[in-house]
Amino acid sequence: MLDSSAFNISDLTVSSLRSSTPILLAILGETLTQRVGIINLGVEGQMLVGALAGFAATLSFGNPWIGLLVGALAGVLMSSLHAGLCVGLKANQIASGIAVLILGMGLTSFYGIPYVGQKIHGFHHLLSAHWQTVPILGTFVSQLTPTVIIGLIATPLVGIWLYRTRTGLIWRSVGESVQVARATGINPAFVQVQGVLIGGFFSGFAGAAMSVDYTRDWVENMTGGRGLVAVGLVIVARWNPFLALPAALLFGGSEAFYLRLQTAGVAVSPYLLATIPYVVTLLVLLVSYYLANKEGGAPQGLTAIFR
Amino acid sequence: MNGSRVLRAEVFPILASACLFLALGAGFFLLEGHAPVALFLEMVKSAFGDSFAWSETLVKVAPILLCASAVVLPAKLGLVTVGAQGQMNFGAMAGTALVLSMMNGSAWVVLPLMLLTASLGGAFWGAVPGVFKARLGVNETISTLMLNYLALQLVDYVVHGPWKDPSNLGWPASANFPDAAILPTFFGSRVHLGLVIGVVAALILHVLVTYSRWGIALKVMRSNQRVALSAGLNYERNVIIVMAISGLLAGIAGIAETSVMQGRLQAGLAGGYGWSGFLVAWLSGQSFLRIIPMSILVGGLLSSADALQLFAQLPSSSAIILQGMLFVSALVVMNWVKLRGYHA
Repeated sequence: MLDSSAFNISDLTVSSLRSSTPILLAILGETLTQRVGIINLGVEGQMLVGALAGFAATLSFGNPWIGLLVGALAGVLMSSLHAGLCVGLKANQIASGIAVLILGMGLTSFYGIPYVGQKIHGFHHLLSAHWQTVPILGTFVSQLTPTVIIGLIATPLVGIWLYRTRTGLIWRSVGESVQVARATGINPAFVQVQGVLIGGFFSGFAGAAMSVDYTRDWVENMTGGRGLVAVGLVIVARWNPFLALPAALLFGGSEAFYLRLQTAGVAVSPYLLATIPYVVTLLVLLVSYYLANKEGGAPQGLTAIFR
Repeated sequence: MNGSRVLRAEVFPILASACLFLALGAGFFLLEGHAPVALFLEMVKSAFGDSFAWSETLVKVAPILLCASAVVLPAKLGLVTVGAQGQMNFGAMAGTALVLSMMNGSAWVVLPLMLLTASLGGAFWGAVPGVFKARLGVNETISTLMLNYLALQLVDYVVHGPWKDPSNLGWPASANFPDAAILPTFFGSRVHLGLVIGVVAALILHVLVTYSRWGIALKVMRSNQRVALSAGLNYERNVIIVMAISGLLAGIAGIAETSVMQGRLQAGLAGGYGWSGFLVAWLSGQSFLRIIPMSILVGGLLSSADALQLFAQLPSSSAIILQGMLFVSALVVMNWVKLRGYHA
């Protein structure tokens, strides 16, 4: 017999992880982008495009894995616009990011209309048959979906790659100073383009994780600012991939928490409860800035553009 | 000689941006199976073709112009705010609160008070990220973007909850505004007082920023904080002031949309005007004078999208795509010219 309170904690953990995953993936991508000295506010637009492309591909191929891949590639395509503008033409990064955001919102509202109200099956729960027999941990693992597991594996990989490999070092040095990197024989523009595109890959994947694996439908502007929240949480996580998971859980955990309150029948408007994740993120951002005023930690190349 | 230099520096980028935009737009129309030239002509006609077209364009110019001013003023201090969308929502909510408490008041009392509370509401929603920036150094671009979503949710809450009017048959909206709470309109069209406020505000701000001591102080604070400090200028206080005024302008845009266009508070009142204002401010090089003609152009683009819906059955979101294309075109050309300039 399972203790009911233990079951609830594991239940809440699973739902927190599930709603954190799209944000986690977006934070990882934006962390890499910002580490090469580029800020991309278009993450929200890239997530939307990834969500729609991923949903449409899943619907027509009947395979959610193809959906995730197509979503990620759509994110790369959107981010290539940002890369071309910011790296190629040295455009203002904030303006370029907003342009990508506006385009992403427009394109997905426009081409998403036939997909509103359609349903997909998503993934059959991974490993469920095997794991359900294992006590406590079994129920927990059996409820995890593929994108949650991918996010949990990707987080340490990105961290190790950034801090422990030679290319990671090169990326970080470009983010600190383009001039110094160039003097040591690195091609900074090439590294920066890669940084933006990999960010596009992650955010497109994040969007697809949302539509293909989390909600399993398409709704106009369904990401609801998660891409922008992710940009804020990169700062909270101090540009450190290892801290991306706790940062993502701030939003995802408070989302899971308010949804639970709602089902528990708390006498507060669901519309008011829905503000909780945004308020929590904003408050944590304030605290993080308060603490960082003493420390810093931003890539030096970013500080000129973005304080 | 001088003339050709002006031509190269001023006219060429505008023409090239326009050409690139038309090319992108044509590609989009072709993809949707429409002949681009005929559609472009139809768009121009429906935006500026006759007096009705002009009035529908000017209706859209009002909020765009106010939101563009809300971006340009903080830019004078080096701030990039994208919060007009949220400030429109919050201002509209504040103004609606006043209207709902004075349903039987006379227009002479209700209208000024409604504009005042909406201004204060917008100013508050603008001052909040200003305080964050001034006290903690929180990046204003991020905080304004996040506050947009929060304001949207608050409007959702009041129209689904405490202010929901049962006579709307389940549709989430406040009670209809009484006639006394509808801003005056002109020429028998829907062109309203908000347009006048927008033009006057842009002109006043232009004069203030260009000629007043305050305007010079903003310039000093923007370009050299050390000099500003030794001159006794208070950067933090000015951040809050500038952000509050910016929010105030957007708040007026919000209540004008609610009062004249919607007639009641409901979700989606801000349309995409906050984004359009941001676009206009950038296309105009953050100039209070240039945003006036530029708002008319973008307003025309938005109202011609209604025609696209009618003639080509394209969904209204084509307007957002076209604005994104316009933004990209301008960024490409502006920066290409700048890069070439450096190399020459």
